Amino acid sequence: MRTYVLTRVAIAVLTLLGMSVVIFVLLRIAPGDVVDMIFASAGYVDPAAKTEIQRELGLDRPITVQYARWLGEILRGDLGKSYRYDIPAWQVVRPRIPITVELAILAMLVASLIGIPAGVVSAVRQDRWMDYVMRILSLAGLSMPSFWLGMVIILLLVWGLGWIPALTYVSPFQDLKAHLLQFLFPALAVGSRSSALIMRITRSSLLEVMREDYIRTAYAKGQRERVVVWRHALKNAFLPVLTVLGIEFAFLIGGLVVTETVFNLPGVARFLVEAILWRDYPVVQNLVMFIAVVVILANFAVDVLYGWLDPRVRYG
Amino acid sequence: MSMQRGGSRSGGFSAFGGRLAILLTLIIAFGGTGWAASTPKYGGVLTATESDTPPSLSIHEEATIATVWPMMPCYNNLVLFDPFKKQENVGTVIGELAERWEWRDGGKALLFHLRRGVKWHDGQPFSSTDVKFTFDVVREAPGAPAKLRVSPRKLWYENVASIETPDAETVIFHLKRPQPSLILMLAAGYSPVYPAHVPPAELRTKCLGTGPFKLKEYRQGEYIDLVKNPDYFIKGRPYLDGIRYVIIRERGTRYAGIQAGRQDVAYPLEIAKTIAESVKKAVPGMVLVETSTNLNDNLLLNFRRPIFEDARIRRAINLAIDRKGYVQAGRQGAAVLGGVMLPKPYGVWGLSEKELGKLPGMGDPAKNKEEARQLLAQAGYGPGKPLKLSVSTRASSFYVDLASFIIDQLKQVGIEATLEQVETGIWHAKLTRRDYEMAVNNTGLGPDDPDANLYENFKCGSPRNYSDYCNPEVDRLIDEQSQTPDFAKRLRLVHDLDTRLQLEGARIILGWAKEYYLMWPYVKNLIPHQSVYNYGRMQEVWLDR
Repeated sequence: MRTYVLTRVAIAVLTLLGMSVVIFVLLRIAPGDVVDMIFASAGYVDPAAKTEIQRELGLDRPITVQYARWLGEILRGDLGKSYRYDIPAWQVVRPRIPITVELAILAMLVASLIGIPAGVVSAVRQDRWMDYVMRILSLAGLSMPSFWLGMVIILLLVWGLGWIPALTYVSPFQDLKAHLLQFLFPALAVGSRSSALIMRITRSSLLEVMREDYIRTAYAKGQRERVVVWRHALKNAFLPVLTVLGIEFAFLIGGLVVTETVFNLPGVARFLVEAILWRDYPVVQNLVMFIAVVVILANFAVDVLYGWLDPRVRYG
Repeated sequence: MSMQRGGSRSGGFSAFGGRLAILLTLIIAFGGTGWAASTPKYGGVLTATESDTPPSLSIHEEATIATVWPMMPCYNNLVLFDPFKKQENVGTVIGELAERWEWRDGGKALLFHLRRGVKWHDGQPFSSTDVKFTFDVVREAPGAPAKLRVSPRKLWYENVASIETPDAETVIFHLKRPQPSLILMLAAGYSPVYPAHVPPAELRTKCLGTGPFKLKEYRQGEYIDLVKNPDYFIKGRPYLDGIRYVIIRERGTRYAGIQAGRQDVAYPLEIAKTIAESVKKAVPGMVLVETSTNLNDNLLLNFRRPIFEDARIRRAINLAIDRKGYVQAGRQGAAVLGGVMLPKPYGVWGLSEKELGKLPGMGDPAKNKEEARQLLAQAGYGPGKPLKLSVSTRASSFYVDLASFIIDQLKQVGIEATLEQVETGIWHAKLTRRDYEMAVNNTGLGPDDPDANLYENFKCGSPRNYSDYCNPEVDRLIDEQSQTPDFAKRLRLVHDLDTRLQLEGARIILGWAKEYYLMWPYVKNLIPHQSVYNYGRMQEVWLDR
């Protein structure tokens, strides 16, 4: 296990290093820089002033020097200064992380609570009316983008109730009810799409397991269906579901852009897009690295859970 | 009085003067607009809407409503457009930090008598030094005590020779030549007075003004909280305890927010007639104000390209675009036709309907297109040899739709145009490099004033004269109108210029966007003006709930 963890850590470090190069280069390849954005709001570009600001921000230095400086700053725990806001990047990013993480967790919770039972029911009642209903619903869920669903939810709320959740972030310590309502609808919008995927994976995986000999044996021994399905079959059918959950969670951290925009939640994903549009290099680079770390940790957690769920899995 | 006009002889702000001020303000409010029908109430926090995080909080370094709208309440100008008057003009300019003002030296000097006892939000006293500091920095005067990162309105003050401060309460703007418009540019929301004791760079992330509201908290990407300034120099103002500008990027959410009552007032530059009308239909009690924005949609022809040296080609393009079609297809009815200056009934300087009718693209579309085809044929282009051009625009739905409309119009006269989409962030860099052939653009203007518009957009060599149109005779006429004190005479000059610029295709104006501003009926004294940039002070706004 120790060797396994060390290997994974080494791979993670290499992955992060590769990511850092990719994001650094991609940002520099994109046309324009933050100075163009600064002048964009003024409506013209003064070449002399542009050169001066580029020099102040260190953007006139060779790309390798800029990269080395950034890596050095990361190693020192300094995330640099936001070009756009003129304050430390960490100060801008930090309050947004818990919002996105909470939304992603709630969305996964919604997805699991809907998707897994629906998948089980669909598998157990294969080719019966309930299975067809579930499959149609899951197809519809997969077909509806979460941002569209989010907008529909908002419009339905305002049309039906004349009410929508708060448009500024409400801390749970400030007003728990308002906080939960604020997160409930975006979590539903995002989670319902993921639930459709999880339902389909659960169904197909469970169907496969249900055809195994040991399931037939369990039935032959006179065990009730509920026990066979939930205790014996589902545990073994859960590995692919877990993989999807891990991937979906990691994807959500960076993929909640539109949902956060529609529900006006000041999370990481929405902020990342704004930072990219502004070519706010320090913020984008550090946020992308943060997302990369989350993806690596989520995958690692899933791999560790494999061993817990399936004792046959060995690490080495 | 609370906001005094030039020429007043009153001295300090006495208790009697204060009472009189409130009385007169109420008279103006009731009589002038009929808007406020009950006694103003104190208290409450106005929830206003902001469409995006401002690029910075420094008004003098930005040219976007996203900064002016939430920051105007923090500052004061020397003078301001009367918040109770819908149409801004020289007669609606009232004093703010200046109690009164007078023209001297045959219109070559503008003297301001400043208020006494005004304090910055940090308690420091305000004086003439701050005024000189601000406008020397903005105009990048030699030896200016500081430098802005960018100074978009530098051109507005090009005619200022020097700024003199004989004492702490007096400022004199010495001009190179008479310029009646200076007072209007100083009255714009883009002209706040900055504190001389604070480096301008600090004002990008905070606001420290003399205004009716102070900055309480700024959460980037979330909201800007302003709180009442208890030491405001106008006693009894503001009425509100605070204002929260909620930043909502998604337009559908912004409208849902106002319909659901989360927001009290809409963002002032939506230009979304259909959505606003549907909200009004859903909530009949909502106030919907139809107004203008002082923002025009235009087509730029790059005069550096040899093809546009041919006046026939420019006129053919100008004729090909059906302006009424633009209003319907480009703006879904939310626009009015006009020339270079904001048209009537919103604007002061716009061409009359009769004059407008004579401009290319305004009359019968079929006839115009036929004339365009003939001109192209004379220039050597036709079905066998079509003129091929490119149309650049920002890569966002509105601009792309508008550019597609233009391309379709051009196709009808035989011009084959292709669309080039450019990321918004590098749009102005591209225009500044003149790296385009034709471009669909829009231009927002601060005050509805010829100087603010003509020098910036049409004078030879101006950085924002994106088409690089240059005509020394037009420059001379721009200077002439600028120093003409007689309004009627100046109006004639401006109309002649407007017509000439349109006929020459200097910047082909498609039309002027209209705003459909929504607010709840309990919001009082928030009166949209013809220019979106000048009415955000919020000093007189109160909530009747």
